[in-house]
Amino acid sequence: MGLIAYDVNKYTPRQMMMIPMVILILSLAILGYNMATTGMPVRPGIDFSGGTAVTLFTTDTPGQLEQKFQGYPLLSVGEGVNNGKYLKFGPMDDASLQALAALINAEYPDAKIDQIGASFGKTLQEQALLALIISFIGMAIVVFLAFRTLVPAVAVIFCAFTDIAMTAAGMGLVGIELSLPTVAALLMLIGYSVDSDILLTMRVLKRQGKLEEKLSGAFQTGIIMTTTTLAAVAAMWIIAFVGQITVIWEIATVLLIGLVLDMMNTWLTNAGIIKWYVLKRGGK
Amino acid sequence: MSDSKLVACLKHWQVALMILLLVASAIAIGPRFEDGKFTTNLQYGLDLQEGTWLQMEFKAEVVGFETDRSVEDFVADLQKQLDAEIYLIDENKLEIRSYYPEETLRTIFSAAGGRLTSYEQGVSRDTADDVKRILENKLNALGTKDARVNPLTGISGVSHYIRVELAGVSLSQAKEIVGTQGKFEIRIHTTGNQTEHVLYGDTITTVGVPSHEPPGSPVWGVSFTLSDEGARKFQEGAIATGAVSAPDAHYLDMVLDGNVVYSAPLSGDLAAKLAVEPIRQLYASTGTGAAGLEAAKNLEIHLRAGALPVDVTVAGSGYVPAALSDYFRMMCVIAFVAAAIAVGVVIYYRYREPSIVFPMIGTNLTEIVILLGIATLIQQLDLAAIAALIAVMGTGIDQLVIITDEILHEGKVPSPTLYKKRLARALGIILVSAFTVIIAMIPLALMDLSSLRGFALITIIGVVIGVAITRPAYGEIIKEILSK
Repeated sequence: MGLIAYDVNKYTPRQMMMIPMVILILSLAILGYNMATTGMPVRPGIDFSGGTAVTLFTTDTPGQLEQKFQGYPLLSVGEGVNNGKYLKFGPMDDASLQALAALINAEYPDAKIDQIGASFGKTLQEQALLALIISFIGMAIVVFLAFRTLVPAVAVIFCAFTDIAMTAAGMGLVGIELSLPTVAALLMLIGYSVDSDILLTMRVLKRQGKLEEKLSGAFQTGIIMTTTTLAAVAAMWIIAFVGQITVIWEIATVLLIGLVLDMMNTWLTNAGIIKWYVLKRGGK
Repeated sequence: MSDSKLVACLKHWQVALMILLLVASAIAIGPRFEDGKFTTNLQYGLDLQEGTWLQMEFKAEVVGFETDRSVEDFVADLQKQLDAEIYLIDENKLEIRSYYPEETLRTIFSAAGGRLTSYEQGVSRDTADDVKRILENKLNALGTKDARVNPLTGISGVSHYIRVELAGVSLSQAKEIVGTQGKFEIRIHTTGNQTEHVLYGDTITTVGVPSHEPPGSPVWGVSFTLSDEGARKFQEGAIATGAVSAPDAHYLDMVLDGNVVYSAPLSGDLAAKLAVEPIRQLYASTGTGAAGLEAAKNLEIHLRAGALPVDVTVAGSGYVPAALSDYFRMMCVIAFVAAAIAVGVVIYYRYREPSIVFPMIGTNLTEIVILLGIATLIQQLDLAAIAALIAVMGTGIDQLVIITDEILHEGKVPSPTLYKKRLARALGIILVSAFTVIIAMIPLALMDLSSLRGFALITIIGVVIGVAITRPAYGEIIKEILSK
């Protein structure tokens, strides 16, 4: 595999973990800053904050659309290819909502409308957070039961946490909001993340042979695993982007960011910790 | 692959099972041309099918209480303070069918000599099921095809929301269907089959839940109250038709939207009372046992004329037009094919060996077909489920890579004993990561986060199929192919 010229054995554990740790600290700083200023680590979409999202296909310019909907709490107009437009409205009362729906139906009969009430959004937000926490704890338990040794298990769990924290910070940077689909993608990431970590740990701890060989063997397999997943997700991302399928596009973007970061976290952070652990035990 | 190798592959039960399931799934999906259009048995959810979803919030709450007084007295006191129907659903839990903030209730509970111990907006599971039944009755009566009504019940057993999905119906139509009431009427038989109008449903002020009357008897029924005007009309009608003097000759009919839903004579006791004064509190008995209870539940719905026992407000709603859902469906197929090709290219780039690449991709696609086959039975596909499908394809191929690399260690096919050991080790890695994915998805599958349930279910089923069936089968196939 010649795509990535990285020698997993070249650096010391300390050197390996340096870059991921700096990025992790930056990510946590971004999330913390968001949390302090907005109350949420990632900007919530209408699923969680309440509001109305409209997808329609029209040659009208954003300016024209703003004019058309000036009586309503229009927050933003997004543009895609194929004349796709995404309108986001803030929360409004039922009468305005009905009027808005009627207006959209009359002007753009092929529009997709989704509306979430503010209190419903809050319930969804609480449940999504709960799902994330339970998933993470569940994953941690499985990993502990699988390895039954402290350092390797903690390393895998730490990597999953790092993946999610960095991806969440990355979402903020590229402007993806926290929504039901993106929460699902983050949960998915827990699964993807531990995949290569478990491969690495199993290979290094349970196989016979030299540490260097086991590490580079695991690296070869692990990279091809992540690249195939990446290929599937990238294809999904491109089609969803061109075809304007927001839900799939958002999921794909989060997975893309997460998978790239996962490569770094697995082969720098986790590999660094496991190398340090084996060397400290005096293993070869 | 030579014929002998093919036969050798099929002799492994894992491979045989995989192929059996593949065929069964293909039959279940049933791809075919009907009227020149390509159709399958796959069920599409909203997004991939035109329609509307409405998520409604119950304007009611389930509260826990403590009191030193007798429960009856306490509840009676509350009843006076609150303009709402109150039901004891548990020893120390009340359902209040009207919305009050927690603080208001706390004050009122203290004033009545008790204490509020818990507060959760929503209704009990039974009430939620009633609402579901009423909505389904209404939707069926209107001939709305393909309607789904699901109360979203939390871990505590309290339903806060109910979700309605209507295929092929616009948002305003959907709101109208859910919001409108039927026309309820009481008529009394005069002579022969002739009946005479007595009152309409608008004079019914409250409707009770099925109960025994008198308490402790085996007879089920539903009590309901009339307004003063209704009670007067009822008395006048009963006297004018002669039902008061000869109840058995003048049955009373309850009619909903033109259909007789209940027919029985006045009781002798009631007839005697009606001769003297208007009666507001009435009771309709429906018989004993399970049949009586079932009839009472239906009668309760009819008496409410399709009105829900609890007020609801729309918490969220959405509409997908047909043009967009057709387009989404097409794009999903394209996205899926593109993902499969991308995976194939990467795998080919890595192994450069058709005898590895084809079984790998074949196994991967088989996994997806079996997953879709199972999905026809239990899960509608929506956009999130499609994303899960593509993600399953990604993890699936990952794990086939693990198996291949583990077995082909140092580029050679190992001896049978070593092979067994290595396959076991590969499956060990796969099992642990499969478990973590399943565990990570379980909260989403159990919680009712609307659209994400499909995502989680598809992921979990996909992983289970992979671990239990297709990946072990792939292990056997690759061994047969590579062994000289």
